[in-house]
Amino acid sequence: MAQEYLLLDIILWFSIYLIVALSLNIEYGYAGIPNFGRALAVLVGAIAVGGVVNRILIVLLGIEGGGLIETSGTLKSTVNAMIAQNPLLGLGILVLCLLIAALMGAVTGALFILPSAKLRQDYLAITLLAISEVLFLVSNYNTSIIGGYYGVSIPDVLAFVPGEKRFLAFALLGVGIALLVYLFVERLLTSPYGRLLKAMRENEDVVKAFGKNILVLRIKTVALGSAIAALAGAFYSLYSVNVIASTFFRVDWTFFPFLMLLLGGMGNNRGVALGVFSFVIVKVLLIVYKFEIKSTLHLPFEATWLEYILFGVLMLLILYYKPDGLIKEKPVTMTPPIKHALKQKAKETPGR
Amino acid sequence: MAVLEGAVVYSNLLVLLAIGLTITYITTGVPNFAQGSMAIFGSFVSLSLWLLFNIHPYYSLPVSFILGGGLGIAIYILVLKPMIKKEAMVVTLMIATLAVDLILLGVLGAYSDTLAELTGKGTKKFIFTPLDFKLAGLDAILVVSSAVIVFILFALFLLLYKTKFGIALRASMENPALAEIMGVNVEHTRLFSWFLSGSLAAVAGSLLPFRQEIVPATGAIIIVSIFAASIVGGLGSIYGALAGGYIIGMSESLITFYLSKAVGPSVLLYSKVVSLLVLIIALIVSPKGIAGLEIWRKRTWRRSTSS
Repeated sequence: MAQEYLLLDIILWFSIYLIVALSLNIEYGYAGIPNFGRALAVLVGAIAVGGVVNRILIVLLGIEGGGLIETSGTLKSTVNAMIAQNPLLGLGILVLCLLIAALMGAVTGALFILPSAKLRQDYLAITLLAISEVLFLVSNYNTSIIGGYYGVSIPDVLAFVPGEKRFLAFALLGVGIALLVYLFVERLLTSPYGRLLKAMRENEDVVKAFGKNILVLRIKTVALGSAIAALAGAFYSLYSVNVIASTFFRVDWTFFPFLMLLLGGMGNNRGVALGVFSFVIVKVLLIVYKFEIKSTLHLPFEATWLEYILFGVLMLLILYYKPDGLIKEKPVTMTPPIKHALKQKAKETPGR
Repeated sequence: MAVLEGAVVYSNLLVLLAIGLTITYITTGVPNFAQGSMAIFGSFVSLSLWLLFNIHPYYSLPVSFILGGGLGIAIYILVLKPMIKKEAMVVTLMIATLAVDLILLGVLGAYSDTLAELTGKGTKKFIFTPLDFKLAGLDAILVVSSAVIVFILFALFLLLYKTKFGIALRASMENPALAEIMGVNVEHTRLFSWFLSGSLAAVAGSLLPFRQEIVPATGAIIIVSIFAASIVGGLGSIYGALAGGYIIGMSESLITFYLSKAVGPSVLLYSKVVSLLVLIIALIVSPKGIAGLEIWRKRTWRRSTSS
């Protein structure tokens, strides 16, 4: 039973993180946009579920009494009972959550990247990080968005599944969503659009010279990436049947996705999947054996801190020894003269 | 009045942090995301000296200064220098400083738990305000933090403008390649900048608990204000960082205070939103910060053409 639990935990986290890492791969791996605010889109996905869908359901079912936090509790028990009778309702709510999350993610992403019109790469990264951090703080302190640090309850969309099979059902559902996202992203990025993104990453001036509007391209890309990342936030909230803003910390949803991306290899989805898989195994094992680690090593502190140190050091080692990741990005096949010309161009304009 | 005092203290500390961030950005070209955690490192140095040896945080400032400087140098030598040698991209270096930030968070968290176990006191959160006293009718922290700012600015001014090393330093900040040709060791200036950045951050961190509660993750929260201050100042000029620190510090404290009077105390939680708004306005009005405004053009034209 314990091993089965471990396996399901790995599958579940693999699916969630694969979605986030793929979204980051579109933005950073392909398009070269340093989105240091990835956590924001994931948080928006959670807000879509806890803040928007919850409110819609509360209004539809006419649940009265108290603020969002209290009514969500009543809502949860009412809707769970309804879903247990009628599985289609659960699936309907699931689809509704994912749709709204993707929509809100896309809008947020499109607005979020607007500063890039004026900013260079490093300034942009700082600004994106600052925006994401501030909105994290706001949703953590303000209890009227998603209940802040108290959190809100969310109906269990798979309430019709018997208790002992619930974990399995969610793991399968997660894999399903992640697989769809993977296929979609793979298909999208092998199209001319994917090559355009790579061209923008390598040299914006060339893309401009071919008549493309860089800002529009960036807005499209980040809107798409954020929509996908929001799916992960929504799914994670549906799985944990509550939303607490403090779980969307920068380390978990911005730093770790970057780590997985760089570990696996940017710019190719197979590499990203491998990176996510390796990371998740380590992470889940660390979580599961937290107390054993603490007691066997006689640590006078919590194992979480050890996890931070370990992943920080791992990141530095990857950056230094294996900047291409486990699976290296395959070059787009080009004739040698074009390659040569591009190299010359890159030399003439260092950086961007 | 108390609000204004608090705002000045906070701005003073922010100036120290912003100067540190700016100076490493000038010499190394990397925005250091670990600046906030470097400050919290200083807070823990002072806390340890207080809990273990009963040394008042004001007296532990020199220790913080030196240990913080050592931390800054260690980060540069162990992490950034090897990567710069391999000609890593700026974004890669930024991710590296994010990793350093995470490692520091882990180390500080682990240390905080260990310290709590050693001393039998809860150090998960701590604040130094009970240790503060009155000095000539003012809170000592106001006097101390202002004195630190004046002292450091004066020392920095003497160093930069009155010594040969300072000339070399300024030369390698303006144009590293040219300075290197003229025989300046750019490596030394980078080492110095990281020492200074780390030590200023640690000093600010030692004083920060007099104003707000500290947890190991506080660094991740204050980094927004530090970056806002540096960017408003232009990220390329020490004077800019000075101005930026006061602009952000004052607006963060005062705007939220007056808003809270008008709207209600719940606004007080959103001081960082003010930072962010000031940052975004600054970026729209003048993407190069205060130092890049047209009025200074005469003084800085050389920099803008050479780089």
